[in-house]
Amino acid sequence: MNNTQVAAIFEPILGAERCLTDTASAEQYGTDWTKVWEPAPSVVLLPETLEEVQAIVRAANEHGVALVPSGGRTGLSAGAVAAKGEAVVAMDRMNKVLSYNPFDRAVKVQAGVITQQLQEFAEEKGLFYPVDFASAGSSQIGGNIGTNAGGIKVIRYGMTREWVSGLTVVTGKGDVLELNNGLMKNATGYDLRHLFIGSEGTLGIIVDATIQLARQPENLTALVLGVNTFDDIMKVLHAFQQKLDLTAFEFFSDKAMAHVLAHGVPEPFAERTPFYCLLEFEQTSEAVGETAMELFSHCLEEGWVLDGVMSQSLQQLDQLWQLRERISESIAPHTPYKNDISVTVSQVPEFVAAVDKVVQEAYPDFEIVWFGHIGDGNMHLNILKPESLPKEEFFERCNEVSKWVFEIVAKHKGSISAEHGVGMTKKPYLGYSRSEAEIAYLKAIKAAFDPNHIMNPGKLFDKE
Amino acid sequence: MKVLVPIKRVVDHNVKVRVKADNSGVDLANVKMAMNPFCEIAVEEAVRLKESGAVSEIVVVTIGAKAADEQLRTALALGADRAIRVETEEDAQPLAIAKALKAVYDKESPNLVILGKQAIDGDNNQTGQMFAALAGLPQGTFASEVKVEGDKVQVTREIDGGLQTVELSLPAVVTTDLRLNEPRYASLPNIMKAKKKPLDVLSADEVGVDFTPKVKVLKVEAPAEREAGIIVGSVDELVEKLKNEAKVI
Repeated sequence: MNNTQVAAIFEPILGAERCLTDTASAEQYGTDWTKVWEPAPSVVLLPETLEEVQAIVRAANEHGVALVPSGGRTGLSAGAVAAKGEAVVAMDRMNKVLSYNPFDRAVKVQAGVITQQLQEFAEEKGLFYPVDFASAGSSQIGGNIGTNAGGIKVIRYGMTREWVSGLTVVTGKGDVLELNNGLMKNATGYDLRHLFIGSEGTLGIIVDATIQLARQPENLTALVLGVNTFDDIMKVLHAFQQKLDLTAFEFFSDKAMAHVLAHGVPEPFAERTPFYCLLEFEQTSEAVGETAMELFSHCLEEGWVLDGVMSQSLQQLDQLWQLRERISESIAPHTPYKNDISVTVSQVPEFVAAVDKVVQEAYPDFEIVWFGHIGDGNMHLNILKPESLPKEEFFERCNEVSKWVFEIVAKHKGSISAEHGVGMTKKPYLGYSRSEAEIAYLKAIKAAFDPNHIMNPGKLFDKE
Repeated sequence: MKVLVPIKRVVDHNVKVRVKADNSGVDLANVKMAMNPFCEIAVEEAVRLKESGAVSEIVVVTIGAKAADEQLRTALALGADRAIRVETEEDAQPLAIAKALKAVYDKESPNLVILGKQAIDGDNNQTGQMFAALAGLPQGTFASEVKVEGDKVQVTREIDGGLQTVELSLPAVVTTDLRLNEPRYASLPNIMKAKKKPLDVLSADEVGVDFTPKVKVLKVEAPAEREAGIIVGSVDELVEKLKNEAKVI
C-alpha cells in the first residue's frame, strides 16, 4: 500500500484534513528526541474523540496497518518513532481537561493534555501534580503514562504510575476498556490499568486518564553540598533520610559542574569538590530547618561533606536546581552517548566504580559525566565524544560500552532503562533486565490485547 | 570604615501574588517571604567592600516584626557583622522607614549607607532618597558600580540613555541597581555562625518614630487578563480581522 492508499482507509473516519500525508507533518510527527531513525510514517492521524480512536484501531486491524501512538514525542528511546510506514495516531487534538472533583482530588484529562498544562491546572486549584521533568512543557499525559515517566521528584512522589487512578483505553483489538474508574481501593483481580502504564503503546491507545493530585509543597528549600567521594554521597543520603522527608536527592560529578558553570550558571561555592549533591525538602517550620542544619553539621564533622549552601528564596531554589537541570543541555555540544540505568540504592557506589573501571581501561580518552536521581538508584551515564574522534567511530565504540555496562547492570540485577523506556534503542538489550521466561509472558500479554500485532510493532521487543 | 545596610523582608520574587477577594491588598497568608532582591545586592556590595579591605564592619538593619529576623540572619550569614531590627507590627511606609533609619544612623555613625533602590513589594523607590535628605547626606542612586577611595566614593549610576559617574564625600548614601553585582549564596557553615552574631531589637519609641501608615490604599486590582490569541487561516483573513476587528489598519 502506498501512503495515499493508507490515508484513504482513515479519511472516512477523520476527513482528509485530519489525515496528513505531507512531508513536513511526516517529519514532525514521525520522530522523537532520539533522531537516530529517519521518520517515514504513511499518514498522521489526528483523532478528536474516543469513537474516532476506536474506529481508527478497528480499521487498522481490518487492513493490517501498524499504528504508532504519539504524544509530545519527547522520548529518548525511539518509542514513538514511525520509521516503517506506520500510521501515527497523534493525540494533540485531545487536549482537554474533562472534569475535576475537589473531594476526590482527581482530575480527568484527555491523553493529549500537556504535562505543564496539568501542573498549572493543579496549581489553580491549590493542588500539585508532582511528576516533573525537563520536558514537562511539551510531553503529554498519555505519553507519560505509556512510559511510566519518572523525573526529579520520584524519591518522594514515585513514578507516574502512583498518580493514575483511572484509564480509558482502546485495546489493540479495538475494544474500549474503562480501567479502575478513579477508585482508591479496588481488589477485583488483575489490574489492567497497570499493564497499560509503561506499555509504550504496544497494547493499545490511552484516550483519557484520571489523575490524582497532591497538596502543594510548602517552602521548598534546596541544599547543594560538596562531597569528597561517592561513598560519602551515600552516607549523606542515609543520614538525611533518617530524619527528613526529602523531595529530591540528586547528584552530579565535578565534570558535570564544570560544563554547567561554563554555561553561565552561578557557582554555589568557591572551592570545587569531586561530587555534589542537591537535596530538597519542605521547610515547614523552623524546627525542620534546625534539623537540616544539625544534619549538615554532623556530615561536616564526619568529613563526608566539605562545603554547602542553602537557598534563601525561591529564586535561589531555581538557580540551585539549574546546576542539575542544565547538565544535559550544557554537554549536548559534545555529542554525548547517554544511558539511563538503575540499581538498588545500596549498590550504587559499587556499580558506578565498576562502570568507570571498564570504560576507562578500554578508552582512557573518554570523558565520563555522571549525574542523576541517586536517591532512587537512577543514574544517567554520559560519555562525551573526544573531539578528535569521528562521530561514527565514537558511537561504534559506545555500542561496545553499552554491552559492558548492561552486563554490569545484569550482575547487579538492575534496570537497563530506569525511566526512558525501551522503545527501539534499548530493545536489543531487554534480556539483560528481563529473563527469557518473563519476556515470553510479556509477549503473551501483548497477544491478548493486540492479536494482529498492529500496536507500535518493533518497540519493546520484536514479534519473534 | 563602617557600613550600614538597611534591608527589607518582602514577598519572594518568584511567588505569583494573588489579589484578595475584597481588593484590600495582596494575599500574604502562607506566602513565601524573602529578602528584597535589591537588598541582597546591597548586602553583597558591602561584603565585597569588606573583603577588599575598604570596610571593617557591616551593620544590617530592618524595620518590621519578629519574622524579619530570618532575613537579618541571612544577611549575617552572607557576611554582615551585626544586625538591628526596629520593632513594628505596622506595614511601615517609606517616610517612616527613612526616619527610623535616620535614628539608627545617628546612633551608629556609619561612613556609608548602602540600600536597595526600591523594594519589590511597594515599588516606591523613595526610602534611600528620603533618608539621604533627612540625614543631610550626599546620595548616589541606581548604582551599577561603587568604588571607595579615601574619604570619597565614586558611584556609577544607570540613568536614561547611559551611565553617569558621580563622586560623593563620605559619609554618603548609595542605592543599588540590578547590575551592581551578583549576590552569592549563604553557605551552610556561615548560616551556623550567623546564629551567634548579635541581633539587637529597638522599639519604635527608642527610635522616636510613629509607624502608623500615612498613605491609605483604597483598592488593589489584578491587571486585566489578556484574551487568548487565535490562529488565522490565511493572509486575507488576517488583513480582514486587522481591519474590521482590531481596527488597526
